[in-house]
Amino acid sequence: MTWPKTRYLITKGVRTIKERIYSRYLQKTSSSGPLSEWSQLLSKMMTSEGKPEALDDMMVLDLSYANFSGNITASFFAEAGAEVIKIEPPEGDPSRIISPYGANVKGVGIPYLMESRNKRNVALDLSKHEDRENLKLLATRADVLIETFAPGEMDDWGIGYRQLRELNPGLIYIAITPYGHYTAKGKEMAGMPWTELTSQAESGLAALIGDLPNTPEPYNWPTRAGFYAAGYTSAVGAACGGLVASFFKRRTGEGQMVDIASADAYASCVGFPPTIGYVWKKPRFRYGTLDYGLCPYGFFKCKDSYVAIACFRDQDFRAAMRILGKWKLEGEWKTLLDRITDDIDKVKELNSEVEDAVAKYTYDEINEKFSSFSVKSARSKWRGGGLPVTTKMLTPKEVLQEKHWQVRGSFAKVEHPSYGIVTLPVTGKLSKTPLRVKWLSADIGEDNEYIFKKYGLVEKKSG
Amino acid sequence: MTEDYFGFTNKLFAPQDTDKKAEALKGIRVLDLSHMIFGPTAAKFLAQYGAEVIKVEVPNQGDYWRGGTYWGKYWKHSNPLWHFINQSKYFVAIDVKKPKGKDLILKLAEKADIVIENFTSGTVEAWGIGYSQISKINPKVIYASLSTYGQYGPKRYNPGWDLLAQGASGVLSVTGHPDTDKYFKVPDFFGDFFPGYYAAMLILIALNYRERSGEGQYLDGCQAEILMRALSHFTYHDATGNDLGRTGNSDPTMSPSGIFKTLDGKFLALAIASDKQFQSFCKALGREDLARDEKYNKAFRRLQPEHALTLNKVVEEWVRTKDAAELIELARKHRFAATEVMDDVQICNDEWRQERGSVIPFEDDMYKKLVIEGPIAMLSKTPGRTKWLSRPLGYHNRYVLKKIMGLTEDQIKELEKERVVGNWDYRVGQRPPIYHDLAKDKIFNYKGGEDH
Repeated sequence: MTWPKTRYLITKGVRTIKERIYSRYLQKTSSSGPLSEWSQLLSKMMTSEGKPEALDDMMVLDLSYANFSGNITASFFAEAGAEVIKIEPPEGDPSRIISPYGANVKGVGIPYLMESRNKRNVALDLSKHEDRENLKLLATRADVLIETFAPGEMDDWGIGYRQLRELNPGLIYIAITPYGHYTAKGKEMAGMPWTELTSQAESGLAALIGDLPNTPEPYNWPTRAGFYAAGYTSAVGAACGGLVASFFKRRTGEGQMVDIASADAYASCVGFPPTIGYVWKKPRFRYGTLDYGLCPYGFFKCKDSYVAIACFRDQDFRAAMRILGKWKLEGEWKTLLDRITDDIDKVKELNSEVEDAVAKYTYDEINEKFSSFSVKSARSKWRGGGLPVTTKMLTPKEVLQEKHWQVRGSFAKVEHPSYGIVTLPVTGKLSKTPLRVKWLSADIGEDNEYIFKKYGLVEKKSG
Repeated sequence: MTEDYFGFTNKLFAPQDTDKKAEALKGIRVLDLSHMIFGPTAAKFLAQYGAEVIKVEVPNQGDYWRGGTYWGKYWKHSNPLWHFINQSKYFVAIDVKKPKGKDLILKLAEKADIVIENFTSGTVEAWGIGYSQISKINPKVIYASLSTYGQYGPKRYNPGWDLLAQGASGVLSVTGHPDTDKYFKVPDFFGDFFPGYYAAMLILIALNYRERSGEGQYLDGCQAEILMRALSHFTYHDATGNDLGRTGNSDPTMSPSGIFKTLDGKFLALAIASDKQFQSFCKALGREDLARDEKYNKAFRRLQPEHALTLNKVVEEWVRTKDAAELIELARKHRFAATEVMDDVQICNDEWRQERGSVIPFEDDMYKKLVIEGPIAMLSKTPGRTKWLSRPLGYHNRYVLKKIMGLTEDQIKELEKERVVGNWDYRVGQRPPIYHDLAKDKIFNYKGGEDH
């Protein structure tokens, strides 16, 4: 890396406008001892080289099958240093072929490639007796097993939690399915496979995205969040649950079963739907680009891009109205109570006024106006001036070009002999044991030889 | 023959046994200096599994999200959406800007295993309660600094929250219909909640490491970076040279896929992930010719935009001729994925969720009944649980200052007089419900002795 590293840490150097506004506490103390100490710590955090790995005493079996949440959960353990063995049938895990518009690198889909970090790939045919025995051998040594088969399927094969816990009482068995491994519905719906879209729909996310009721179909229909929102939520939930269990195991030696229902994971993450259902007694309808809580609060179209206008406090609202030349509106919309968004026709009025005002400027013009206003207001002894904040909507392509993420090393570029150089987002900046990407491994059975030898597995008889 | 599998698992996870089971994080103390949603969510996850979380707020002001709500609707003088995020925590109000307040926080931090804050980069350091100060008095501490842009990098001082993080990370630019001028944000502060759980995961990684090595560490949790981790769009861009863009209500990674309207006017989500699922789906559809067609029988070809579009048209017409219940029954029988789009009320009243313990009609000592979500992960031996809902500002002052800090009633009264510690100022969100008799409340007036 050739970036002038120290510029982005707390030093006495030149400050940008944003820094002058938002670091007023720091300005008073920037030369004192603790800050330079902290700054040194941060500069050491810019690399993971030579640092220990938090979970390198753990072995994880990833049996996820046609379910991305399983692959992702295993990735998190792998990034934190665990030995993760991805086990799939000889013909491959179907999640290999789940990819946007079928885009693939030598037959491997993009999401699969992305979640193949730091894993060992082993092909086992679990329909065969020998390989079930091999799996048992691995499971006796494992700390964590992740599986996404239909509830009861592994049990039927003699390698479910019920059987494996006899072999290894310390095993943490993570199961990820749409409706979970217990309850009447779990049993009834056991055969229903996982998909990302149905998880979003069943957990209340899709019902809230889309345009206002009076807009034309299908724009006012429930809409999908354009990425694996439910898939990653289930995965983070599973990893969190697994790590809680792992902490308990470190203290007591006991393993347990962790059950994730991906049809509920998103609702469990945000927690709003059942409480609103109970207190409001009626469901929310889709709010387009408006917000349920505040107005104006959202991204507005300007001349060359989309820009965030977000007014939390009354002073921020006043500032925005002044800057956008809409001061005449201030009287009618003065307080937060005036801007409550339950009367949709009323707030649409205010929202469209803001839309008209923003459309006259470019992003840079608005950013400049907001920043210079904030500089003045931050200097003022009277704190009621408001600190309007804005940012620009970036596309993934633009995000990749941002200097900020390059300095932070937010994207790893890893080379693989079959797949070339692959870009992977990575985050987990722990000062002593950072998460990291070490390699990609995505060929079926790529590490069979290594793992079979290491754990004394039995080779299948040929033919 | 052995017991039926679901007979075994229903006993293993029985929600009525939860209170009898152990708590994995019992004895872990968390000092939660954070506010709004991102930080408090990480602390909440730890509280659900048994950690003792002490939430520190500013007297007479409190967390801004106390007074926030949707559509201006409050519930028993509180923000109903705040309870889930701040369940089972201890609430103290200490003014960090007063020297005595700072000392109190440092003393609490000395006795804590984990500290969580989510102010703009450097703010806690300037206040004297940052990692460089606290690690000196408590070297084993795990200190999590959570912010939108992270603690270093050229944008480190930019403030931010859910909305800005969704814009800066690319999340906003991928949701909505192509060829329109509207980009929808992911609602309900997903950009705070998801990074909150991710931060909890990083804290747990550090906690597992501390258990083996005895070492604490510092954690820089960056909200926008965490959202970026959930996008395959960067890998896609660099592999293909294209931006994926917005894809409406279909999923470009599965074909067919989409949200469709049924005969009885409901919305049905349907998606086909694997070739095997496609074969059985075609049987249900009565179009086995499609299953044999070279354009569709292999996923990578089926996913091509023009083929996916044709298939989605076929599905759209088929779905329009049937009721939702009938379609879901077909999906169950033929083992492909289809569900109804669920709204707030359906989720609240869902029998499956209540049986599972994912939706809980919780009976609270102070607020009485409120329906809230259960834990995201069900653990058979150390299940997560809710002990109480949130509490008014500074409600546990006496409990925490006496029990943990060993202060006397007189010392606390002195601190109150100097406005170092305090309570609510009767603004909505801070104060207790009107029917609650504070004089009789043993925890609020904690004298010492019994546990809570």
